[in-house]
Amino acid sequence: MKMVKAEGLTYEYIKMLETDHGTEEEKVAALKAVDLEIEKGEFVVVLGHNGSGKSTFAKHINALLLPTQGTIWVEGMDTKDGELIWEIRQTAGMVFQNPDNQLVATVVEEDIAFGPENMGVAPEEIRRRVDEALATVHMEEYAKHTPSKLSGGQKQRIAIAGVLAMKPDCIVLDEPTAMLDPVGRKEVMETIERLNKDEGITIILITHYMDEAVRGDRVYVIDDGQVVMQGRPKEIFSQVERLQQYGLDVPQVTEVAHLLRKEGLNIPADILTVEEMVGTLCQFKLTT
Amino acid sequence: MIRDITIGQFYPVESPIHRLDARVKLTLTFVYIVTLFLINSFVGYLFVIAVLGASIKASKVPLKFMLKGIKGIMVIIIFTAFINLFMTRGEQLLWQWGFLSLTVEGIVLALKMCMRLILLIVGSSLLTLTTTPIQLTDGIEYMLRPFKRFGMPAHEIAMMMTIALRFIPTLLDETDKIMKAQQARGADFDTGSLMQKAKSLIPILVPLFISAFRRAEELAMAMEARCYHGDENRTRMNRMQMHRRDYGAFVVGAIYLVVIIGLRYAGNTFSSLI
Repeated sequence: MKMVKAEGLTYEYIKMLETDHGTEEEKVAALKAVDLEIEKGEFVVVLGHNGSGKSTFAKHINALLLPTQGTIWVEGMDTKDGELIWEIRQTAGMVFQNPDNQLVATVVEEDIAFGPENMGVAPEEIRRRVDEALATVHMEEYAKHTPSKLSGGQKQRIAIAGVLAMKPDCIVLDEPTAMLDPVGRKEVMETIERLNKDEGITIILITHYMDEAVRGDRVYVIDDGQVVMQGRPKEIFSQVERLQQYGLDVPQVTEVAHLLRKEGLNIPADILTVEEMVGTLCQFKLTT
Repeated sequence: MIRDITIGQFYPVESPIHRLDARVKLTLTFVYIVTLFLINSFVGYLFVIAVLGASIKASKVPLKFMLKGIKGIMVIIIFTAFINLFMTRGEQLLWQWGFLSLTVEGIVLALKMCMRLILLIVGSSLLTLTTTPIQLTDGIEYMLRPFKRFGMPAHEIAMMMTIALRFIPTLLDETDKIMKAQQARGADFDTGSLMQKAKSLIPILVPLFISAFRRAEELAMAMEARCYHGDENRTRMNRMQMHRRDYGAFVVGAIYLVVIIGLRYAGNTFSSLI
């Protein structure tokens, strides 16, 4: 069974337009017939610039939005089935962009307990899950702190722990690092990677940062509500011009590699990290 | 400046009073407030003061903090004292000027009313100083549960209190930021008439409200994503448990109540002793 499977997923909403003749209604499609499949245990990145529909897609996985056409299944469960809604939300946890607006309680451990409490888990079991989740995100010593005193990266790790305590098979992160400083971004990305590698949790990371996208197993590029590119990071990022056409940047080194190739240097187009670049250039000097 | 405002006035020390279950403290505070209106003799007041004094001593909270609350209602206390002193009609007239008259009955009544107000404030301060806001919220939720069948949204009230407590520091930070942004563009909040000062608050309140609504929407979505659906089938990680000390406190409270009622009857019988 696929972790997430979407077929012809379409989402339309009515937008009110102020015109000279009063307000007019306009139908806007945020997602247009999206087809995709995500395997269990994968680390999938969904890339797109602002307004591309990537956040709308993320909210469909958690049944926060329901498709107007087409279907999306989470572990075989159709999100349109109202009876499965809590099970779907428990299976696919969600972390949002703003760390401040997703923490509910005034004490860290109470906040992490919020999800399991809603699911009706027994108190002793909640206690165990909270301690475990805190340990997984390396925040044990902050159990009794108040969230408003923590840094952005720490708050976001608490939000991840809150989802972990619900024992999900998949975590959807909707631009989790967009409001963080570089240190916070690093903390959160390391936590996400660890969850994927060590705990085997499927990760769906929605982002517009290229250097984060590089770390995924597979990348989907969404533009104007459609999946326009998909493949392994190396396949995607070697197509520099096409990405720029969708309003996306490539990692800086990849762009340098691309420019060097244009100048006639014989180096690979799929260089994604500085280390790779250094390796290639050093060898280049040896061979010529 | 604005960040100095503390919410709730919990005083964090370890004491027997701090360790008591919030429900016990809520109940006893309620009993205490009722008894303030039961006593009618100075002996009764002395007894209440003694019991309250002992509780404050046991709570290890400095008396200074307990008396802080009185400052806030000083005006009301003085006003009450004034009305009772000069407006009470009585037989033992001491002094009279126009409609103002000073009687022995007036002095006694004024003293009693002021003590009642002060004891009320200090007693409820003892509750809020020794109980964390979360314990208090949980306690209130539990105590309101019986009224649920009459349509009282006990869980929702508690949830609202929790969220308010969670977001007060966040919104204070935001107010601070907005004020600085407006000041950087030449806004003046400190000078001018009262009217002008009030007007200059509008450019702060509008963005603050807009952002609060946006936050509320996002929070609602985040709560839904974490399976929140009211208190149906909801469990709690920290269950409130009654310990031996809590039952002990109840016994003390019961003895206190009996003594107060006894004093009232005794006072009625031997009213000549006051």
